[in-house]
Formats: sequence, structure tokens, C-alpha cells
Amino acid sequence: MFAAENGLKGDPRLQAISNAIRVVPHFPKQGIMFQDITTLLLDHKAFKHTVDIFVERYKDMDISVVAGVEARGFMFGPSIALAIGAKFVPLRKPKKLPGEVIAEAYELEYGRDCLEMHVGAVEAGERAIVIDDLVATGGTLSAAIRLLERFGAQVVECGCVIGLREVKGQLRLNGKPLYILVEPREIDGC
Amino acid sequence: MLSLTTLCSPNETAASSSYQPPVFRLRSYNQTLPPTLCSASDSVANQPKMSSPDEQDPRISKISSAIRVIPNFPKPGIMFQDITTLLLDTKAFRDTIDLFVERYRGKDISVVAGIEARGFIFGPPIALAIGAKFVPMRKPNKLPGEVISEEYSLEYGTDKIEMHVGAVQAGERSLIIDDLIATGGTLCAAIRLLERVGVHVVECACVIELPELKGRERLGDKPLFVLVSST
Repeated sequence: MFAAENGLKGDPRLQAISNAIRVVPHFPKQGIMFQDITTLLLDHKAFKHTVDIFVERYKDMDISVVAGVEARGFMFGPSIALAIGAKFVPLRKPKKLPGEVIAEAYELEYGRDCLEMHVGAVEAGERAIVIDDLVATGGTLSAAIRLLERFGAQVVECGCVIGLREVKGQLRLNGKPLYILVEPREIDGC
Repeated sequence: MLSLTTLCSPNETAASSSYQPPVFRLRSYNQTLPPTLCSASDSVANQPKMSSPDEQDPRISKISSAIRVIPNFPKPGIMFQDITTLLLDTKAFRDTIDLFVERYRGKDISVVAGIEARGFIFGPPIALAIGAKFVPMRKPNKLPGEVISEEYSLEYGTDKIEMHVGAVQAGERSLIIDDLIATGGTLCAAIRLLERVGVHVVECACVIELPELKGRERLGDKPLFVLVSST
């Protein structure tokens, strides 16, 4: 669900966040209009609004785990975790995490990739959210949900700054609610 | 100017299980007096003055004990300092950020640059708390749009670090954040990248330093602040 349709209609912070995101055409390849959140990170107020909106939503939901997907999920997840008193659990590409891990494969447009999580990072019964900058097909987030569920954590929601049109109207991912702040920007010479 | 502080804990022996507590070297930064000859009549008042453990912020020991050491990762002989266990300890993670924020708040720092990927975990919370922008410094081909890059040496070969053109302006005051400094190669490349566009790098800040790898010397006159020094 989009934040504007779910309690934050007309919230000026959402417009500020959207305005701070830059579109880079044809990256990483022709035809893709890449939604670049690094310009949001340069805008201290808008970056703070982003974190605040997620914190307001999750702080009273008894969440003890914030999982963030490498690497842009690392830019948003820890601040949310710190503010709501939850642990931060990084979900990483293969071979980055030292020690014992579990892995979950997922489909890409061409081929497959893999997401890993540390054994022992979460315990059965913990309530978790997954954070990433953007959701497109939902493949990565679905793998993240499966990783957490394998240790008995309950994924309460996935939170993303940007949601592409493929997920509009799709309220759930793997049966889990999806909470999105803004739609993608168009390239409009701004 | 900001002063250097390195904070250490006494030596711990490595356990034989897969979990290894961090190993530290006690380093006193007040001069100790030479020990007096001991005799049965020595009273407490005659004991030599030792450096006081009160000088170490009380939050440091919990932070250092929350860091996990993984032997032989990513290859044999390397004792990997794993900060992910620190991130699972909500108080210790909070304290880590607070220690950096207390040091840098009100020092007119407008840029916090963080090195991929673990610098992305510590940098943004610091940036948000001190009112600075966060600038990710990334491996090649990750940042979209126009970038500048800086090459640096590895043990075998070279690597590159990139930053967006226009992320920072000449004259801005910046920190560089990473989880750990080893040889200092990556941090030096990050410093060069920022200085090339006229940014003043005020200090490099890491959770952990591996002093035997002499990263601090490699940074030269660039100050380095760490919370935990690990041998």
C-alpha cells in the first residue's frame, strides 16, 4: 500500500521525499529509468522525513528486528532500527557475511542471485520488518521474507521508499503487507 | 582541534569455541611511574600510580565485547572483526552511534561519507543526528550518473572507489566513516577523492582499528578516531 492512500494523504513530507529522488535514464542498461536515492541522502530534511515516517509507523508495533537488504537497505534500515529499539540484521550477497549463514535463492530478469543471513541473528517468534530502497518485482524482498521465516521470525511488513508500478495494486508480497512511500519519478527535466 | 582517543580493554585469551571474544592490548596514555620495590610493609598509598580505567568511556567495553571475531575469514590467518553482532545489541549499537555523534555534533560538519558497505550502516545515523548529508562511496559501477573515481592498491592488484559528481561542494567539512581500518588503503583513497573536489576531511572515524597494520600511519596527518583497538 502507498503511504498517501494509507493515512498520509497530503502529507507534505511525501512530496519533499519524491522531489529529492533523482531519475537516471538508461542505468544500468538501456530502457531502465533508475530511481536514484542518493540525492535524497544529500537532502538532510527529506532523508530525516523518510526515516521518521517509517519510525512513526513501526514504533508501536512491537518490532524487534529490522532487516535491511544490501546495500541501499543499509542506508535506511539502521536509523529505523535505532529509533524503534530493534536489532538491525543485514541481508547480504553471497560470501560477505562471515561465520555461519543461511541462503535463499531468487530469480533475476536473467539468471538467479542469492541472499544470505547469519544463523542466530533472529529467534523464533520475533516480529520483523524488511527495509529496502525500492521494490520492483519483489523477488529480493520475497527471498528476504523466506530467510526470516526459516528461523521462525514473523515478518510483519516490508517497507520501501519507492514502489514501481508492477507492485501498485498488489497489497501483499508473499502474503506480507508492503508499505511504500512514493511512486517512481518521471524524467521531466527537473 | 579534535583530539585522538583510542580506548582499549585488557587482554582476553581466545576461547576454543567458534565464538572468540575480541583480543585487546592495554595501552596507557598517561605515563606510568616506575614501580616501587615491593615489600611487606607497602601500603596502598605507596603503590605506583597506574593509568586509570575511568578514562575509558564506560560504554566502550560493552561495544567491544559485542564484536565477534571469526577466525580464518575471508581466508586462513585472518581474524575477521564481525560488527554484525554489535548491530544485534540495541544498547551497544545505540552507544556506538552516540559516541560518534557526541564527538562531531556542533563542529560544522556538513558531509558524512561512508564506505561501502559497512560504512553505510554507521554513517547515515551519524549524518542524521548531526544534520549532515550522507554520501556513499561505492565500488565501481554501482552509482548511477556521473562519478569520479580513485584507484588504490590491494595486497594483489588494485581496486577503485567512486563518488557522485556534485554530491559535495568545495569548502565543505567532512568525516569519513567505515566499520574498521586495517592498512588504511581504502580510507586514503576516500580522502583523496574528497580532497580532489576541495572538501576538507576533518577526521576519519571507525569502530575498530587493527593497529598492527599501521593504517593510522598511512593516513599521515589526517586524524583518526576509533572506539576499539584490536590486536
